[in-house]
Amino acid sequence: MAGHAPCSAPLPGSLADPAPICAGAVCRPCPIALRPAPPAPNMAAPSVSCGAAVPYRLFLAGRVSFAREQGLWKAAASGLQTGTRCQILRLKHSPAVTTKKNVAALRRESYTVDFIKKQIEEFNIGKRHLANMMGEDPETFTQEDVDRAITYLFPSGLFEKRARPIMKHPEEIFPKQRAVQWGEDGRPFHFLFYTGKQSYYSLMHEAYGKVLHAEERQDQLRAKGLFSEKSKSKDPIGSRWLIKEELEEMLVEKLSDQDYAQFIRLLERLSALPCDAAEEEFVGRFRRTVTVQSKKHLIEPLQYDEQGMAFSTGQGKRKTANAEAVVYGHGSGKIEINGVDYLLYFPVTQDREQLMFPFHFLDRLGKHDVTCTVSGGGRSSQAGAIRLAMSRALCSFITEDEVEWMRQAGLLTTDPRVRERKKPGQEGARRKFTWKKR
Amino acid sequence: MAAPTLKVSRGWSGLALGVRIAVLRLPGLTQVRWSRYGPEYQDPQIDKEYYRKPLAQLTEEETYERELRKTQVIKAAPATKTSSVFEDPVISKFTNMMMKGGNKILARSLMTQTLEAVKRKQFEKYHAASAEEQATIERNPYTIFHQALKNCEPVIGLVPILKGGHFYQVPVPLAERRRRFLAMKWMITECREKKPRRMLMPEKLSQELLEAFCNRGPVIKRKHDMHKMAEANRALAHYRWW
Repeated sequence: MAGHAPCSAPLPGSLADPAPICAGAVCRPCPIALRPAPPAPNMAAPSVSCGAAVPYRLFLAGRVSFAREQGLWKAAASGLQTGTRCQILRLKHSPAVTTKKNVAALRRESYTVDFIKKQIEEFNIGKRHLANMMGEDPETFTQEDVDRAITYLFPSGLFEKRARPIMKHPEEIFPKQRAVQWGEDGRPFHFLFYTGKQSYYSLMHEAYGKVLHAEERQDQLRAKGLFSEKSKSKDPIGSRWLIKEELEEMLVEKLSDQDYAQFIRLLERLSALPCDAAEEEFVGRFRRTVTVQSKKHLIEPLQYDEQGMAFSTGQGKRKTANAEAVVYGHGSGKIEINGVDYLLYFPVTQDREQLMFPFHFLDRLGKHDVTCTVSGGGRSSQAGAIRLAMSRALCSFITEDEVEWMRQAGLLTTDPRVRERKKPGQEGARRKFTWKKR
Repeated sequence: MAAPTLKVSRGWSGLALGVRIAVLRLPGLTQVRWSRYGPEYQDPQIDKEYYRKPLAQLTEEETYERELRKTQVIKAAPATKTSSVFEDPVISKFTNMMMKGGNKILARSLMTQTLEAVKRKQFEKYHAASAEEQATIERNPYTIFHQALKNCEPVIGLVPILKGGHFYQVPVPLAERRRRFLAMKWMITECREKKPRRMLMPEKLSQELLEAFCNRGPVIKRKHDMHKMAEANRALAHYRWW
């Protein structure tokens, strides 16, 4: 791109500069990437005028001619010194790139190992700068702190979360790529290279070796008579096998469904045998934990009013109705809504059944008193909102098992269904206008 | 190990456990049938007795299923379903089919009036009958309703199949839910169309239900007509490929 402003070579001392600000049009993938995907080397992006921005050179082997670089550098430097408003403390050198169509975008980008290593260094340095700027300790600056700092420094109004500025470790940004698989003589390093899927087959080889080893050990134990048919104490539901996409990502190789199935079968066979610690660890690498849903609920502790009566509040929503319910520990099953008895407020049986549902489900029909306020929505959505609020309030009175039962009965989930908008060119949300042939 | 082999038999339930598989999205094609719930949401289990069952009595399959449900996200219970003992899925479905324009209140009141009318008629008959006949008279409106609909269900249906440029009516065995649907649909259309002008729906419907319960009446006749036509078109049965 013409008008590309190269910068001077970085001096060792310049890394400690308090506010190095880069000028003008520089284009290189920064650890703080303003675009979501790693940019093609030929693309230009405006730099970030921020203290921690550490752009650096991108060497494209064979494309740079030094004489041209020097000339461009001098020309640009004079221009920069006169014209720019920013303070230039360090100008980076970047290769001269002629105007050419962005053909590289069609190919998959490949990044060299050195490039990635440099990125990681720069990311770490940038993280420390960021910590300095935010006034925090650079040693204990975690990724969450980094994310928080970036959202603070670069507030974005974009709705798409993936389009907002990010600063993540280069491993997460740049796709994993395989290093060159063969040496200078053209001979591949790995003995399984010519299978085409060397990581997969070497993994299968390793796993099968472990299976044979475990079977041998089992036979030895049997021969000695020490073998006992004890079942594994591993939690059956708490973890799952890797899915095919995750395995592909791990091996950086494309797999077919049959390959994946074969691998999982082998792992299951291995885990069925008595394993020692190394084999357990090997199997553990391919298992991911599954969250138990009920742990996500926060159950409020009971509150007590002046008379010593236990009560609990809950809030519920359904469509546009909002409800807040206060459930008292002891009562006779009275429900008061906006100061009115429930029989008068909900003349329809279906709504009263909805109010009764949580109590009947827990066998606590006449044992609690409820006072609730509700606004918005229609009669059915108000009933649904009150039902949700009451269920949430009841969580404080019951055991954890019963909370899980309520969750599985669908009493603790907010109904996400809302009215679908009408679309232009149609009569309603789904109904189209009458089709007329002419 | 029992649990992993169970998982294998379910076909890579690694997919079922808490992993969201993105539905196939092609560029330029928008999903038309979609729901506010993601694909990982499961339907709620409302039956109280399912949860009250003691753990000792559960089979291995049930224990595994219980553990699995703990990891799944569940949809909200719909507004029409409760754990009440008075709730009947067949009655609810019939009420929804009777409903017009979303007027559930009216449909439900018609349903309750129908069941009341059935009960009243049966009680009148009961009080007017002798002792040995009283034992045979069924007075529970719910059993009468279920039995009547079951009597109206056709066993075999006709499906138009295009072959050689002509549509042939081919006899085809019907699925359970299709049979139930046809029985209810015929009952409702019969009552709406053949009703005398001043007669109300509950009265007509209770009349039809009682006749169907005794295997008489127009709905049963329609079922028999369907069976006869299927029998008549037996020769075309080989047009079916499923």
